[in-house]
Amino acid sequence: MTDAPAIQTAQRRGLSDAAFAWLLISPALAFIAVIVAWPLVETIRLSFTDATLGGENYIGLQNYIDLFSSPKFFDTVGRTFYWMFLSVSLKLIVGLIGATLLNAAIPGKALFRILVMPPWVIPVAIGVIGWKWMYNGYFGLVSGLLQEFGLIEGQIALLATKTSAFYAAIVTDVWVGTPMVTLFFLAAMQGVSRDLYEAAWVDGAGRWYRFRRITIPQIMPVIVSMALLSAIWTFNSFEIIWILTEGGPRGATTTLIIDTYKVAISSQRFGEGAARAVVIVALLAMFSLAYLYFLNRVNRHYGAK
Amino acid sequence: MATLDLRSITKSFGTASVLKGIDLAIRDKEFVVFVGPSGCGKSTLLRIVAGLEEATSGQIVIGGTDVSALAPVDRGISMVFQSYALYPHLSVFENIAFPLRVAKLSEAEVKSKVGKAAEILQLTDKLHLKPGQLSGGQRQRVAIGRSIVRNPKVFLFDEPLSNLDAALRGDMRVELSQLHRDLSATMVYVTHDQVEAMTMAHRIVVLNAGRVEQFGTPMELYHHPATRFVATFIGQPNMNLLPARVVGQDASGLTVDIDGGPRMTLPVEGRAAPGDRVEVGMRPENLHLGQGLTMKVRVLERLGGVSITYGMLASGQRLCAALPGDAPIREGEELSVAINPADAHVFDASGAVMRRTQAPALAA
Repeated sequence: MTDAPAIQTAQRRGLSDAAFAWLLISPALAFIAVIVAWPLVETIRLSFTDATLGGENYIGLQNYIDLFSSPKFFDTVGRTFYWMFLSVSLKLIVGLIGATLLNAAIPGKALFRILVMPPWVIPVAIGVIGWKWMYNGYFGLVSGLLQEFGLIEGQIALLATKTSAFYAAIVTDVWVGTPMVTLFFLAAMQGVSRDLYEAAWVDGAGRWYRFRRITIPQIMPVIVSMALLSAIWTFNSFEIIWILTEGGPRGATTTLIIDTYKVAISSQRFGEGAARAVVIVALLAMFSLAYLYFLNRVNRHYGAK
Repeated sequence: MATLDLRSITKSFGTASVLKGIDLAIRDKEFVVFVGPSGCGKSTLLRIVAGLEEATSGQIVIGGTDVSALAPVDRGISMVFQSYALYPHLSVFENIAFPLRVAKLSEAEVKSKVGKAAEILQLTDKLHLKPGQLSGGQRQRVAIGRSIVRNPKVFLFDEPLSNLDAALRGDMRVELSQLHRDLSATMVYVTHDQVEAMTMAHRIVVLNAGRVEQFGTPMELYHHPATRFVATFIGQPNMNLLPARVVGQDASGLTVDIDGGPRMTLPVEGRAAPGDRVEVGMRPENLHLGQGLTMKVRVLERLGGVSITYGMLASGQRLCAALPGDAPIREGEELSVAINPADAHVFDASGAVMRRTQAPALAA
C-alpha cells in the first residue's frame, strides 16, 4: 500500500503499467529468444529439409514420413520409454529406501549422508568410465567377482551382448541419478513435523504404518516432482550411454537422444536429425504438461495449504 | 478406575537433570494441570506419562497397572499436541479416525465412533474438509476428537491452547471444562498459563526446576502458597514481596518491621526468631487505600473496573496495587496503601511459607 504513490508517480511520467512490465521482463525475454527460441525454430525449420554439410533443400514432411514408417524408429521410441520407466522407477525406489535409512536416528549419519554424494558429485564421465572398466570382460571387476564366486564359467563382457548391455547401462544410470533423488527425499522427510509421528505413535501406529500413511503422503509432492524431473533427465540422458556403449551393441542401448546424435552429428544428416529432435521436443512437452497437471493435483490433495 | 500415580520420576538428558524425583497421585476423573515456567520440566513429565520419553528412573502407574515399560498405545492414554499434529493430507474424518484405522476397526464402527466424537465437538459438517481449511479452534477440536475416539483412561494435553488467540482461548477453556464433565475421564493438562490452570483444574501441580513446588486446588495455591515461588507464580498481577525483619512472635502472630515501612503483626504460624529476615507477600488485589505504605505512582493502568498502580516505596522497593477503578490517583503523585494483616503472606529466608491462620474458608 505504501508504494502506491510511487507507482502512480511512475505512471504520470508517461510509462504505462504494461510497458513497464515488458521493460522488466525484457532481459529474460532476450535470453530465452537467443538461447531457446531461435535454436528451436531453426531445428523445426531444418526438420523440413534434407540439410547435410553440402547444403539443404526443402523437402516438406518427408523426414517425418520416413521416421513414422520406420519400424526401427518405433523400436527406439519404445526402448527409450522402457529405459526411462525402469531407470526412474529404480532411482525412486532406491532413493526412497536410502533417504529413509539416512533419516533414521543412527550414529554417524552425517558421514553416511556425505558418502551418498560421490556418484552425483564426481564428473559423470569419470564415474561412467569407471563402470565401463568394471563391466569389461578381460579385467572387469564384475566379471571377476562372478567368476570368483563360481557363478559363471569364463569371462563375461557385460557390454557386449544386447540384453546385458541394456541392463548394465540402467544400473550405471541409476547409480548416477540416485544420490540427488535421495537427498531431495531426505530433505522432504526432514521437513515432516515430528509431532505427526509422535501423534501416530501414541495412537499405536507402527513404523511401516507411519511410513505409509504419514511419510509417503507428506513427501508426495516431492516424489512427484522428482519422478517427472528425473523422467525428463533420464529420457534425455546421453553421456552415460554414449560413454558405455555408444548406443550398441547393435542398437540395444540406442535411445532417442542417442539416435538423434548419431544421425545428426555422426552422420551429419542434419535434416533427419532435426526431425528426431522435434519428436523429442514434442514428447517432452507432453511430459511437462503432465508434470504440471499432476503436480498441481498432488499439491492440492496433499498440500497443507 | 483411572488413577495416575507417578512414583519418583527422574529424567536426565546427558548430565542435565530435568526432573528430580516427581511423586504425584492423581485421582480418577480428576482434571490436573501441570503449570510452571518454561524449562521447568512440565512437558517432559507429560511426555514421560505418554510414553514418548523414557524416564531415567521411577514408575508410571495407570489404574493400578505399572505401564512404565509399555508403548504409548498400550498405556490407555491419548494425547493432544500443542501443534495439533493433524495430518494435512487427510480429511477431518480420517484424522479423527486415525487411531481407529490403526486398531483395524470395522468401517461401521469407525463411522459410528467418529460420528459421535464429531457430534460432541460440533464438527459434523466439517468432516469432509482438510485441516488446512479449518480455523485454529476447529483444528483444536479435531485434535481433541482424535484423542477421544479411543476412549482412553487418561487424556494428556500439551499446551493445547497456546496457538489460539486470547478470545478463542477463553472459549476453548470453557469447552474443555465441559468436555471433561461430559467424558468424566482423568485429564492431565500442561500449560504455562496460570489462568488456564486456575480456571480448569481441580488440582494444580506447580513445577519449578524439575521439582513439584506444590500440588493443590487452585484456591489452596492462591490462599496458601507453600513457597515464595508458588506465591509469585499464581495470581495476576504478581504478588509483591517486601523484605522485613522479625521483631517478635506471640499468640496473635508474627510482628515484623517492613523495610522502609510500618511495623505489622501478621497472623501466621511457624518458628521465627527476632532479627530473622523474612519476606512479606502482599497481593496487589489485597492492597487498598489507607495509611500504611507510601509509594510514588510511576505507572497507572486504568482498566475500568480496576486501576493497576505500579509504584515505588521510599526504600526503592517496587509495589503494585490493584485499586478501585475510580480511585483518585495520578501518575507521579504520592499515595498511601494498606493491607489487612490477615491477607498478608510471610516467607522465611528459605522461601517456605509461614502458614496463615486466618485465611478464607474457601481455601480449607
